[in-house]
Amino acid sequence: MNGSHNPQSALRVTDLVKRYGDFAAVDGVSLDVASGDFFGFLGPNGAGKTTTINAIVGLATLTSGTIEIFGHDIVRDWRAARRLVGLAPQEYNFDRYLSIRDVLIYQAGYYGLRGAAVRRRADDLLARFELDSKAGDTFVKLSGGMKRRLSLARALIHEPQLLILDEPTAGVDVELRIELWALLRELNARGTTIILTTHYLEEAESLCRNIAIVEGGKIVAMEPTAKLLGRRGSTLHVTLEAPIAALVPASLAARGAIYDASTRTLAFPNIAPQAIAATLADIQAEGLAVADVDFARSNLQDVFLDLVGH
Amino acid sequence: MANSMDVWGFRNPVGLATLVKRELVRTIKVINQVIWPPIITTILYVLVFGLGLGSQVRAIQGVPYAAFLIPGLIMLQVIDQTYGESSSSLFQGRFMYSIQELLVAPLSAAEIVTGFIVASIVRALAIAMLILGVGFVMVRTVPENWTLYFGMTVLVATLFAAIGMIFGLLAEKFDHIAVFTTFVITPLVFVGGVFTSAKFLPPLVRQVSLFNPMFYMIDAFRYSFTGHSDVPLALSLSIVCVLTAVSLVVVLRMIGAGYKLRV
Repeated sequence: MNGSHNPQSALRVTDLVKRYGDFAAVDGVSLDVASGDFFGFLGPNGAGKTTTINAIVGLATLTSGTIEIFGHDIVRDWRAARRLVGLAPQEYNFDRYLSIRDVLIYQAGYYGLRGAAVRRRADDLLARFELDSKAGDTFVKLSGGMKRRLSLARALIHEPQLLILDEPTAGVDVELRIELWALLRELNARGTTIILTTHYLEEAESLCRNIAIVEGGKIVAMEPTAKLLGRRGSTLHVTLEAPIAALVPASLAARGAIYDASTRTLAFPNIAPQAIAATLADIQAEGLAVADVDFARSNLQDVFLDLVGH
Repeated sequence: MANSMDVWGFRNPVGLATLVKRELVRTIKVINQVIWPPIITTILYVLVFGLGLGSQVRAIQGVPYAAFLIPGLIMLQVIDQTYGESSSSLFQGRFMYSIQELLVAPLSAAEIVTGFIVASIVRALAIAMLILGVGFVMVRTVPENWTLYFGMTVLVATLFAAIGMIFGLLAEKFDHIAVFTTFVITPLVFVGGVFTSAKFLPPLVRQVSLFNPMFYMIDAFRYSFTGHSDVPLALSLSIVCVLTAVSLVVVLRMIGAGYKLRV
């Protein structure tokens, strides 16, 4: 994913630095997002996610480093680069003087597109995002969920190949979030590369094939989601019928068992799934009767907290 | 590091036309602030000063006072409304973040500046023609030199649209935009010959008025109606052209650098 040159890169960020005075908001970030990927860009507040996105889409100037979108440098070849990107920003930035249908049509116009095809696409997007009944209203009359959908529709109006979503489900209810997930999966399946920032880690875990975690302006992890989850093994909890009278038997201690006398539970952290059967067999061989077994698979939140430390 | 947009390129005519249209749509949405006030104000000026007090004033530059007043009033409103609209539109775009719609699009600084300025010119021409209509109905005055009339309207609209954009970028709150109107534009326009010829001013005041750029704009514009000017037409045109060119370069560089636009 990172490292060597990838001719199919949708986005290639190399040694990006963005300074505000002495403060480095982004401090040497490099990313390589393959075409067709669903890429999560995660980090705590103030980590540098939005600054990096702003640099990619042209809302921030670069202190140093380079950014290429499908091979087009965003400084030297900025027009071609921008035509390929659609942004759904974190903050609503709609034009208050336009109806929401015109928000889409004018945005297409800024990208050099006009005519009946654009009007049809605007109507299609409004219908697809269930906004057609509000087509003549300004965005201030929309609910929070509708504004999020409009933001996504606007990002798609010029048919970008790379879609960047900065907190697309912030403040929306569970039902709408699930709807948006389905839409994003559908877009990705049709070939649109998607970069997603979110604070909902289960969202990133569910949607993203690759994830980068940024902290303090630096990338602290960038791996396929499955590999990232595998960093922190799963934990097997075995509750015993009776307490262990003396020390944890040597065969179980060798497997990393930690005994909690108050709950009569043996915990085996970072255990591989294929070692569970042998572990349970060892427990029985030691003559310990098992009352209950629980296997807790690690999730992105655990890995995230390990990496960013809070 | 270089900025992420070039300054001079013109390769997105549809984008440019869309921006012009957007600005004009905005004007129509706020028509009660932009178009009607200058017309109402002009009618009141003509009634009170032109036809009321003016009936007691002898002809100036060979025309009745009310007819003398009309070109000055057109310039007054063109300057005021052009500055006000371009500054507030840009500032509002910054304040509401909607300017980001332009900044992420493949639009160059030249295209963005041109979009705002062309819309300002259209607005200025509409205001000028409406006031001219008022002038024709009330005092039967029309320009003798239409080329100069349109040329000066376009030039002055360009200048004050550019200045408006500069202040729309500099301002941190709406109040800052009004400061330039209150303390610079209004005083300079009023003492710049809207209501009287420089020839009637005391010698010292007349000398001072030669440092007032509004004086040259109004004097040249009035020439298109009366065929008379207080200073040579070429001098006035040169001064306005130089000011316009400087303002355009400044605003192009500010937008190109993303000043207060690109964080």
